[in-house]
Amino acid sequence: MTTAIATQNGPSRSGGGGSGSLYDVLELILDRGLVIDAFVRVSLVGIEILKIDVRVVVASVDTYLRFAEACNRLDLESGPNKDPGLPDIVGSVTESGARGKTKGALAGAAETVSEAFRSKTGDDDKESAPRRRTSSSASARRRSSSSKEDDE
Amino acid sequence: MTTYVYAIARADDLDLPEDLTGVGDPARPVRVVKHDDLAAVVAEAPAGIRPKRRDLMAHQRVVDAAASNGPVLPMRFGSLADDDGAVGKVLDERAEHWRERLSALEGKAEYNLKAVHRTDAVIHQVLAEEPEIRAVSDAQRTAGGGTHEDKLRLGEMVAAAVNAREKRDAELVREKLAGHAEAVQSGPGSQAWIADLSFLLTAESAGQFLTAVDELARDHPHLELTVNGPLPPYSFVEPATASAAPAV
Repeated sequence: MTTAIATQNGPSRSGGGGSGSLYDVLELILDRGLVIDAFVRVSLVGIEILKIDVRVVVASVDTYLRFAEACNRLDLESGPNKDPGLPDIVGSVTESGARGKTKGALAGAAETVSEAFRSKTGDDDKESAPRRRTSSSASARRRSSSSKEDDE
Repeated sequence: MTTYVYAIARADDLDLPEDLTGVGDPARPVRVVKHDDLAAVVAEAPAGIRPKRRDLMAHQRVVDAAASNGPVLPMRFGSLADDDGAVGKVLDERAEHWRERLSALEGKAEYNLKAVHRTDAVIHQVLAEEPEIRAVSDAQRTAGGGTHEDKLRLGEMVAAAVNAREKRDAELVREKLAGHAEAVQSGPGSQAWIADLSFLLTAESAGQFLTAVDELARDHPHLELTVNGPLPPYSFVEPATASAAPAV
């Protein structure tokens, strides 16, 4: 059995050496799997670091300010006929090549905005599909959160 | 000598690469403990092993190799037996159970799906769908951004709306996908994601499942969906209990 990552664009290998997709399942290896009473388990002290919340913490002042700022930015072009799922705004990020009429390009537009919002550079992987870039940027954040653990 | 246990499988199914190594630094060579038709994939346990990423990945690599020819029961990371004899004893004492579980998981794999919101896309959706919030936002922009308190108030309104959509979308994801799977389990990272679900799928249902994920992503572009699979069935090694059964 081979580990592969399948995105919404169809099954595909994860980019950048393959460890990205594996990282997403480390929690399964830690928290799932067979436990046998006759065996002991190694101490999991410090494991919380691996489980840092990747989701936006919704109830915080920082988030409120970010959301308010996003409203200021986003609704400039959101007329009633716009698809709410496809924010049509570029801001200072210039990836005009990703904008166009196809499904993939529309995803690219959403991606561009989302990267701008996260203040990620995302300039290391322009060849790959837009959605996968999103996934890898999310993974990268988590990887960096957990790197402390490895550096101990 | 303490023995690290990776997985239980049928002895005849195992065909591990000769140079396969597992956890530890240096990585310890992997070997097989057999008992009748059953086998455990094991290695010498390094002293002081901790759940570092490198070792977690090594664990996964060994379990993956064990699963190349047939069903496996992956152990949780860091399972240690006193020695090989203790491993053989566990294979023997619960042999019928292991055989039953291996049969139940034959030809099936775990697919883990995680969902998050694309932040700007979901805020865009909130502004389009909630006239009250849109009005407050418009007023503040007209006023040049509003005061700090104004921004907090708007942000809090948006946050509540986003929160409601997280719950709504979690139900949506499960509802659209659970029907393709033989079993569904909530993933351990449930709090970190809008949805973190593991699905037990056959090769055939996996195709349908991935198509359904595609459709979900297409119909709801504010959702960022990541599927990992096929994986060894970490979340399905034991029979589903009533409380863990898929809520369809």
